[in-house]
Amino acid sequence: MKTKLVALAAVATALTMGVSGCGSSSSSSGSKGDGTIASQMIFGGPPEFKTRPDGIPGLKKNYDVSFGKYTVTDVGGPVTVNALKRGQVDAADLFTTDPSIAANDFVILEDPKSNFAAQNVVPIITKSKATDGVKQVINGIQGKLTTEVLGGLLGKVVNDKADPADVAKGFLSDNGLDTTGTAAKGQSLTVGSANFPENVILGEIYAQALEAQGATISKKMNIGARPKYWESLKQGSIDLFPEYTGSILVYIDKNSTATSPDDVYAALGKALPSNLVALDQADAQDSDAIVVTKETADKFKLKTIADLAKKG
Amino acid sequence: MIGDVFNWLTDPSHWTSTAFDTGIWDQLLAHIGFTLIALAISLVIALPLGLWIGHTGKATWIISVANAARALPTVGVLVLLVVIIAPHFYGRTNNGYLIPTEIVLVLLAVPPILSNTYAGVQNVEPSVRDAAFGMGMTGPQVLFRVELPNSLPLIFSGFRSATLQVIATATIAAYVTLGGLGRFIYDGLAQQDYPQMISGGLLVAALALIADLLLALVQRYTVSRGITGRTRRQDRGSRGPDSRTAVLTEELVSEAT
Repeated sequence: MKTKLVALAAVATALTMGVSGCGSSSSSSGSKGDGTIASQMIFGGPPEFKTRPDGIPGLKKNYDVSFGKYTVTDVGGPVTVNALKRGQVDAADLFTTDPSIAANDFVILEDPKSNFAAQNVVPIITKSKATDGVKQVINGIQGKLTTEVLGGLLGKVVNDKADPADVAKGFLSDNGLDTTGTAAKGQSLTVGSANFPENVILGEIYAQALEAQGATISKKMNIGARPKYWESLKQGSIDLFPEYTGSILVYIDKNSTATSPDDVYAALGKALPSNLVALDQADAQDSDAIVVTKETADKFKLKTIADLAKKG
Repeated sequence: MIGDVFNWLTDPSHWTSTAFDTGIWDQLLAHIGFTLIALAISLVIALPLGLWIGHTGKATWIISVANAARALPTVGVLVLLVVIIAPHFYGRTNNGYLIPTEIVLVLLAVPPILSNTYAGVQNVEPSVRDAAFGMGMTGPQVLFRVELPNSLPLIFSGFRSATLQVIATATIAAYVTLGGLGRFIYDGLAQQDYPQMISGGLLVAALALIADLLLALVQRYTVSRGITGRTRRQDRGSRGPDSRTAVLTEELVSEAT
């Protein structure tokens, strides 16, 4: 009996020792580094960002930025936002149109060396449908689309649960783009979109503007990912699709090395199949971005990613 | 592929931590840490409760509730708890993610320990229990000197299955920014580094097997020889004073049958 109790007690002691031992091991952080600002920082991002060419290796190559530690969070989602907001990480990988960037006063660090390939919003259209009138309508929209505007529209859908079609309508009337006319009269187009809110909003914007200008529109929203809709676009069963320059270029040409907005746009023009054409690219970008809190940006006077390599 | 996994596991740089990457040894320690915290809390909750319910026969509905809780989707509960709990923690702490993870693991570990403890005590031969009371033992004496030792094999089997489940499930800690061996599985998948992913899985399986082996050893030396029947024949002639309980139980059992 006694021996049993002793043994049970031993097990219990071992457990508690293990518990206390664990508490100390989790707090070990390795931030000796080389004295740069980045070396004192913990970076938060998805697992693949650690090994992706434009992820941690690209930051090292282009800006000589090496972070002290990497905490795997999620793909630009709530875990990353919360970790950055609460100070578990100091810098994070988010998407430029993420409404939580503005909501939390986060600062996007500029990427002058284009480590991240440009991801400007670009409408891809069937060449035979791209009449001057249609071009004029769509390019008018493109001129109004900035990253902030797009982020604001996305916020209405993601945070306020608004309907993408209503958000699109609001955008068009706010910018005076909903005037009825005859620019696209007689044209009939099928407008598609991928299955994420931002792309649906863009699809709705194009569709509603063309409809107001007299075109006959049929919509195919929320189709899915690129492999699912690309063939239909190529074969002409979809005529107009909101795309992103960098992603669609790499999808067509895996070996593309273009990164700056103009280079990517030019390369995309050459890479597209002959029956498709890219209309004007918008200022709006939905790309990866290195994001810090306002306090961090002020404290270290950070404006661009390169500033992270300065001595802190 | 097998060769790649072997190369990944035998690469010394994967075992030690650098400032940027956490190696296998540290993730193993973190994994054991998550497991031990969860098991310790579960034992403190489930063992006394199971003994009490089994001894008194009261509130047996708790057992049913605990067993029903096994149906909770672990990842769903984890994400829900993270969304609720994590925003309350500021600064470098991991607690906003550690606490939800431990709650989820405890929810997983309590049912097997609780129901097996209850079943163990409940299934002690009524005649053995009656005999103990008849000898003038008090309620607690019967519980701790007769019922607990007699139910140890079942309690151990509950604890061992809880341990296996917790070790296997602690991999979800990686889903919410924490470390542990799940890190290799989760990162390997995202980075399309499949040798890393498979190695992570193998390490979890190895840890589970070793833990079960250790618990089997502990069980062997804590459970009364009178119950297991181990070394009974050789020992029969030369019993020391320490084996009185075993004799008592043994004789009570043989009287009962």
